[in-house]
Amino acid sequence: MNYQGLQDLELLELVGEKDREALAELYDRYGRRVFALAARMLNDSVSSEEVTQDVFMSVWRRGGTYASNKGKFTTWLFSIAHNRTIDELRKRKRDRSRQNDDIDDHLNIEAGDMSPADAAVAQSEYAKVREAMDDLPTEQKQVIELSYFKGLTQTEIAEKTDQPLGTVKTRMRLALKKLRNSLSTEMGAQV
Amino acid sequence: MTGSREENQAFENIAGYVLNSLDSDAEREEVEELISTDSAAQREHREMNETAGLLALGAEPMAPPARLRTSILDQTRLDNPGAKTQAPAGLVSRLVQSGYAASAIAAILVLAVAVTVGVQNSRLNNEVGQLRNKLNSELQVVNALREELESSKTDSMAMVNQMESEMKKMESDFGSTLAQVSHQEQIVSELSIANNALVQALRDQSWLTYVAMKEGYQVESWLANQQVPSDASGLIAVRVVGNEAVFQVHGLEQPLPGHAYTLWLIDNGGPNPVAQFSVSEIGSATVAFLLPAPLYLYSSVAVTQEPIGKVDHNPSGITVLSTETK
Repeated sequence: MNYQGLQDLELLELVGEKDREALAELYDRYGRRVFALAARMLNDSVSSEEVTQDVFMSVWRRGGTYASNKGKFTTWLFSIAHNRTIDELRKRKRDRSRQNDDIDDHLNIEAGDMSPADAAVAQSEYAKVREAMDDLPTEQKQVIELSYFKGLTQTEIAEKTDQPLGTVKTRMRLALKKLRNSLSTEMGAQV
Repeated sequence: MTGSREENQAFENIAGYVLNSLDSDAEREEVEELISTDSAAQREHREMNETAGLLALGAEPMAPPARLRTSILDQTRLDNPGAKTQAPAGLVSRLVQSGYAASAIAAILVLAVAVTVGVQNSRLNNEVGQLRNKLNSELQVVNALREELESSKTDSMAMVNQMESEMKKMESDFGSTLAQVSHQEQIVSELSIANNALVQALRDQSWLTYVAMKEGYQVESWLANQQVPSDASGLIAVRVVGNEAVFQVHGLEQPLPGHAYTLWLIDNGGPNPVAQFSVSEIGSATVAFLLPAPLYLYSSVAVTQEPIGKVDHNPSGITVLSTETK
């Protein structure tokens, strides 16, 4: 079977039938994105690999239950990845054993090789999202960075930025709406 | 959406919900309840959720280590697929409490194990089937490649054979050409010699004819080898008036080293050397001399080989040309 020619949802259906090749193809398509998100948030190779493995095992176990009418597969996948990574971040905070609040550089990440074509696509996606982020007002950008990439709750953001909780919520909502406007036309069809 | 304070608050929290930044489970439950009942909230959630998904691409591009893929696929093999077939704990408890014997529990467990084994067998069969299909596909590809290789090999062999045949033909043609060239060179060489001889003969003949016509000479004597058959010949032409004479010879071999031919006039008093001369490549020579006495007073004329510059009145060499003059 030519798995590379199948759509995401067709692959997901095969994953529901416990087809490992289908899962491998989904991993080939989105594994690096999931890993990059985890690495960006955790700054730790081992944890990022664990999160990525957990995410795809979740796809393996829950693939058959995915309902396409609830949104795109990638939205679902990245949501799983983001939530799983935030779980890891908050677990660290509880443990207080591995803080990374002030670390932005990926100094501890052991990365694999990426084909030139994949690297070009990834760089293009990254540039578009960062451009959209940079277009946000500074306060809104900060809220998105702290919530999405740092895993802070709204209350934690309010405390960190010394802003009322309501202001944080409003900025978060406005930021997502502006990001949607700028990203949906350019990238809506890509992932 | 009705617009109550709680609903508005929940609607406001949709962004925090999709970013997983709400502070409490209660807030999350409020949002989920709103989404399940309110179409506007559903739309807001869907749009914000998609946007949040795109934010994942805002992480610096990075590929995972290659081992991770293998690790995940290995993990799927270790994943326990039989969990769905296990009987709920409550049911087991009720069965025990209701007085069914342990055999009933055992039977259920056996059944569960059987179902599990069946599912596993079915899955294994599926995997074996998939592997078999994949193997068959690869075998077809390998066979196609083998046929293509065989075809290419046959074509290459035919091409090599054809090239060898052409090379042999070229070698044969080349050999023939070499032989032809050699033969032609020999012919050219022989023609060159013949041409030189002809040129020399024509020059001598012309000179002699010229002398004979212009100066009034006439041939008095023909010389030949009297002892062995030879191509060599000569003549002596004498001017009708006067004692001037010309001796001309053809076909003589080259003299021995340090020797030259000598022309003798022989009479009763013995041999008289007239001149010593060399010959051209074709054995020709023309010698002009003055007769001491009319030719008919001599008994014979002869040509011998003598050491150069050492001629006396007795020929020492073999006579190669001679004639009687009387």
